[in-house]
Amino acid sequence: MAIVSAAAPSAEVRHYRAHSRLKRVGRGLALAVASLLFLGYVLAPIAWLVSSSFQSEHEIISKPPHWIPQAPTAQNFAAIFTARDKTVTYETRKARDPASGGFIPSTASNLLPAMLNSFIVACAVVALNLLVGVPAAYAMAKIHFRGRQASIYTILATRVIPDIALVVPFFLFIRNLGLLDNIWSLIITYLAVTVPFSVFVLVSYFESLPDELDKAARVDGCSRLQTLTRVYLPLARPSLVAVILFAFLASWNEFLLALMFTQTTASQTLPIVVASFTSDFTISFSFINAAGVLAIIPPVILALVFERYIVSGLTAGAVKG
Amino acid sequence: MTTDVAAAKPRLRGPLSYDERVAFLFVAPLAAVLMAVAVFPILYSFYISLFSVKLTRPGRTPFVGLGNYVTVLSDPQFWHAVERTAFFAVLCVVAVSVLALLIAMLLNEEFPGRRVLSAVLLVPWAIPYVANALMWKWIYDSNYGALNGLLYQLDFINSYMVWLGDSDKTLALIANAFVWKEVPLATILLLVGLKTIPADLHAAAKVDGANAISRFFHVTLPSLKSSFGLVVVYETMMAIRHFDLFFILTEGGPGDASHVVAWRIYVETFRNLSFGTGAAMAYILALATLALAYAIIRALARKI
Amino acid sequence: MARIEFKSVTKRYAGDVIAVDDLKLEIRDKEFVVLLGPSGCGKSTTLNMIAGLEDVTEGELWFDDQIVNALPPHKRDVAMVFQSYALYPHKSVYENIAFGLRMRKVAAAEIDRRVRDAAAKLEIGHLLNRRPSQLSGGQRQRVALGRAMVRQPAVFLMDEPLSNLDAALRISMRAEIKHLHTAMQTTFVYVTHDQAEALTLADRIVVMKDGVIQQIGNPDDVYERPRNMFVASFLGNPAINYLEGTIDRGGASPVFRRGALSITLPPKLAARVAAREGQELVLGLRPEDVCPAGEAGPGMALSGVVDSVLPVGSDRFIGLKVEGRDVYVRVDKEARHQEGTSIQLGLVAERLHLFDKATGMTLLEGASP
Repeated sequence: MAIVSAAAPSAEVRHYRAHSRLKRVGRGLALAVASLLFLGYVLAPIAWLVSSSFQSEHEIISKPPHWIPQAPTAQNFAAIFTARDKTVTYETRKARDPASGGFIPSTASNLLPAMLNSFIVACAVVALNLLVGVPAAYAMAKIHFRGRQASIYTILATRVIPDIALVVPFFLFIRNLGLLDNIWSLIITYLAVTVPFSVFVLVSYFESLPDELDKAARVDGCSRLQTLTRVYLPLARPSLVAVILFAFLASWNEFLLALMFTQTTASQTLPIVVASFTSDFTISFSFINAAGVLAIIPPVILALVFERYIVSGLTAGAVKG
Repeated sequence: MTTDVAAAKPRLRGPLSYDERVAFLFVAPLAAVLMAVAVFPILYSFYISLFSVKLTRPGRTPFVGLGNYVTVLSDPQFWHAVERTAFFAVLCVVAVSVLALLIAMLLNEEFPGRRVLSAVLLVPWAIPYVANALMWKWIYDSNYGALNGLLYQLDFINSYMVWLGDSDKTLALIANAFVWKEVPLATILLLVGLKTIPADLHAAAKVDGANAISRFFHVTLPSLKSSFGLVVVYETMMAIRHFDLFFILTEGGPGDASHVVAWRIYVETFRNLSFGTGAAMAYILALATLALAYAIIRALARKI
Repeated sequence: MARIEFKSVTKRYAGDVIAVDDLKLEIRDKEFVVLLGPSGCGKSTTLNMIAGLEDVTEGELWFDDQIVNALPPHKRDVAMVFQSYALYPHKSVYENIAFGLRMRKVAAAEIDRRVRDAAAKLEIGHLLNRRPSQLSGGQRQRVALGRAMVRQPAVFLMDEPLSNLDAALRISMRAEIKHLHTAMQTTFVYVTHDQAEALTLADRIVVMKDGVIQQIGNPDDVYERPRNMFVASFLGNPAINYLEGTIDRGGASPVFRRGALSITLPPKLAARVAAREGQELVLGLRPEDVCPAGEAGPGMALSGVVDSVLPVGSDRFIGLKVEGRDVYVRVDKEARHQEGTSIQLGLVAERLHLFDKATGMTLLEGASP
């Protein structure tokens, strides 16, 4: 009896084909619905933020709200970039209704300098993370030294204590160093806060790279440092990108410590300035939203560009050869 | 054969081998940074908690041993905050876990456009906490917010309601904002877990006659146990200590509806200026976090 | 000169795990030494200590006249071929082979000459621009060999390099490695668990178990004159058969008895069991050491029930049940046996082994190992 017949499909085969096509359509439909729900959940709040930022104060107080701006305007963003030219006094504020005031907070001019501070701090933190974290991760992954296990646990344990608990000692420590209101206070503390995770990611990735590569390199004549730079670093690119991304974003987004250590525009970072708007009840919402949009653009772009490294950097990749 | 004579001295018990010297050299900068900026403050924080330190009374800082701890633990307001925190944490962890699992399963499927969805997933994770708080504050706004607008348009409500100012709803709303931002990372952790389930397991189950639903319960979920554990532990730790949203959205209000422990620590330290009790409270939080993490890990380990 | 000597070397890991215990071994210049044993016996650890990849916990490791305990691997003149080849995935084949020379600051022209030379010898010249991921297992293995060859080291180390190859390739590669040794005139230290490989390649074999050397000798020595039951059973495929029994002084010469089985010991063995009447001993019989019943002397008969018939193409083995034990013997390829039937075979007297059951040591030991 033939297992597969070459003749015309029987009724059973036709039924199976129809059934599987139905299953495929059903699956496609389910995926489409799920995808739409997902996109809605993630993007709707952001979309609303963006939409609000393009609405004038007049439009923004409509009830019900205009989901899509009917008279989109860029004046909120213009306000941010030209903030220095305007002077806000008690009179100019009093003259207008808060929501349709068409004015900006007195701290608006701090926004761009704060962004610059955020950027400098984030870059410095990333650089230091790599400088300090990579050799340490290599050593912990590939060299069996006394105290290796303990080191890994200790490093992770430093992150268990909530930042709130550290703020006072940090504050005194930074103050005694004379670094209050200096971006270095942020750089040092952010480094301590981000490096454990970086090291964790790097150690996991290094451990997934074959030990024998390390041995081959050392027998071939590499010192430990050369093994790291000539063999392991080129292979660890996904995890390096992931570390850069995480460290940058963590620094850019950090709020509590910046709140404690910064007082003036000399060191204030973006989250602090943006937060200062929200506590001012008399400023226009559309302006706040525009500031918010500005604050999210750099990190979002970064994340989207390096998206594929995040998962591969987190998971140990198998390296053949 | 050629050897480096100078380096070939016999090794005795004490001195370190080449490998160990290199290892310590490589780890030294990291250790220095962490010692100075993490370990020292942690220990110093504990030290402070043993004294009565009030900036309102700068001259005197008597040693009180565990007195601050007793003060904190016998304060009913503190326990109220603990209750609020626990409620918040449970709400957040459950919501994050469920949503992350659903999304991870979606993203685990192969279909056109999946890469786009994966990229979009990262957006909430990437934005600053402040921006997140701001965004939701605007959405929850009592006068012009989108939440009000949407419900009004859909005829669920007749007039705009107060949201953040309503003590019954505050924690849930803050939790929603927190969950929205935490879902991406949790999803990625679960996705990684899903990808490490050997295809053979599903194949064997199919051959055994299991349909998609029973495969979910008998193959997928059990294999995800360790990833789930990681997500639960991590999100619990994050939820318990979260501060930014409480600072920006409600400042602990209305009344003390959103008075979580992290907020109380802030108030005690920076508004009441009582550093000693503030530090004690922070340490209690830290210990609780450790204990909770440990308990969850043990519970999950046993179930395997 | 490339003499390696282990002077009472012990390697201990954390948790008091002893990988290598009081190793005393001298490897002569230009020798091909094979470290043979099951996994966990310490052979790879020993190899790693020669390379400098593992530290020596106790004892001294000497290269010629220098103690090298503290010398890091990149300062030793050794080259190594790994089981998984360990090729650098991000480098081309050319760069993989050239890497060791570059690290040692050899002139570019010289590097080029040596690389192309080695590639030609290994027949991988056409692959020089490829990446390891684009090569087959056999090709990768040659690149790994090339990488070690161009270094022209004082010592060549190989850690089970053929285990990942398929059977046919393994045989041809063995020949190539043997040629390589002759051509390079260098000390080779080779680690394997495959006894056939060891017998084929080695000048001397070091059999190890649980971190302790069991026997050192040339292939003939370890195969024909095993010092203990472990060595006897490790060398030879199919493995040696063991029958436990006792010595009986019934009559003129001692007899090895196990149940109904009674074997008259030949003079060579008889002399060794002088004081051992009643003691438990183990008789060792290699599968090839049987002959048709008629050809054997008196008292040299082995009878049993055929339990299994195992033709392997070039040979034919049968499994016999002898006094409750499974005994595998090689029989004539053309012979046909039925399962369940009783047969009788003869034993070749000079090829029997006898071991003390308690210590596992051979009774045939005359001189030192």
